[in-house]
Amino acid sequence: MNQPPEDALAVGIRALIAQAEGSDPGALALSTIPGGASRETFLAEAGDRRWVVRRDPLGARDSFAPLEVEFRVVQAAAAAGVPVPRPIAFEPADGRLESAGFAMDHVAGTSVAPRVLRRDDLAAARRVLPAQLGEALARIHSIEGREIEGVSASDSDPAFAACELWEATLDGVGEPLPAVEVGLRWLRLHPPPPPARECLVHGDFRLGNLIVGASGLAAVIDWELCHSGDPAEDIGWLCVRSWRFGNDEKPVAGVGSLAQLLEAYEGAGGDPPSPERIRWWEAMGNVKWAVICARQAHDHLTGARPSAELASLGRRICEPEWDLLQLLPFGEG
Amino acid sequence: MQDRPTAPELLDAMAAELYAEVREWVPRERRFRVLVLANLCAVIARELRAGDEPSRRDLELFSALSGSHADDVREAATALSASIRQGDLDARLSEAIAGLREHVARKLDVARPGYR
Repeated sequence: MNQPPEDALAVGIRALIAQAEGSDPGALALSTIPGGASRETFLAEAGDRRWVVRRDPLGARDSFAPLEVEFRVVQAAAAAGVPVPRPIAFEPADGRLESAGFAMDHVAGTSVAPRVLRRDDLAAARRVLPAQLGEALARIHSIEGREIEGVSASDSDPAFAACELWEATLDGVGEPLPAVEVGLRWLRLHPPPPPARECLVHGDFRLGNLIVGASGLAAVIDWELCHSGDPAEDIGWLCVRSWRFGNDEKPVAGVGSLAQLLEAYEGAGGDPPSPERIRWWEAMGNVKWAVICARQAHDHLTGARPSAELASLGRRICEPEWDLLQLLPFGEG
Repeated sequence: MQDRPTAPELLDAMAAELYAEVREWVPRERRFRVLVLANLCAVIARELRAGDEPSRRDLELFSALSGSHADDVREAATALSASIRQGDLDARLSEAIAGLREHVARKLDVARPGYR
């Protein structure tokens, strides 16, 4: 047996699915789904049946939530009624996927935000999305993050923990960004009170991590940044202007208003956070996106991942910086 | 002296051709990368046309806020960042926010005019 690596992986995925589902899917055709920066994603097809496999790149550094934890979180989300691709089976690093990974059902639709916002055949989806996003968030936030083994949780207040995390991440990049610093300082001095309850937070809830089809939200994907925290973090992040892709008059992901989102959130059992708490997390979301842009450009500059696209993100830091400083200060007399 | 086209004029030409023609030759799923390159040409052209003035004004601003006397704008930005982090500007945070809005506006004028 002298197979090329792709074939070995296809054989491994076939065996994993056959065992978990109790029936052999047959020979699989594999292709790569581009997008994820720190995970590899494959589409496996046999006739008209399709699956998706997510695994760690071979020799990868540690990720935020290991794939084993991500698998458990997706199972918990499915049980809580969040639309997710049905998780099928997890395989540890020494198993049939060559690195840690898991298989799930394929869900049809797009996760390219500008297409969701502009394509004619998704007009009806856009009308129902604000309410669907509110409902999905309420269901995610009904989950106790600390009860899922391996989900990261901080010992301190979530707002304080976010300030610490992004200051440290910015220090790791080493770029002087005084506008981000002044925003972080203001946020540190004016934190919201600790949340009434901590819950599972998706951590990167925006159109780019949602699959949208003709009838709207089909699945919430990419749970890599999930953790236990303040539910307002997901809502504030969803309102960051960069995720509106030009539809600036619609604060929620370029598709709707905060009132629409929160009405559905409450209707699905969520406890809507105060406007000031959401605004604090929206501002923190802009800090986070500015620092991530700086880190991506840094990855180009160090030669870790040479790419003009990553390099160009260094010149987009000023966009979330502008939005951050437009949001501040607030809540004072 | 170099002959014309000037550097910004050359970049304008590159941006226009990448955007209007090269993009069409590239498979649909990779066109985004051509747009990134066209946009970078446009950013560099604007930066060259703006000259030293934006950096000079940033140096003045950073020095005034932090009380440092660096000659180099990156050094001044580093000093100001450290002062803000240490809390030295806590009593003047609104003033610092207002000043740094101007700094960010100068970056946006080069990187993405119209974003404001």
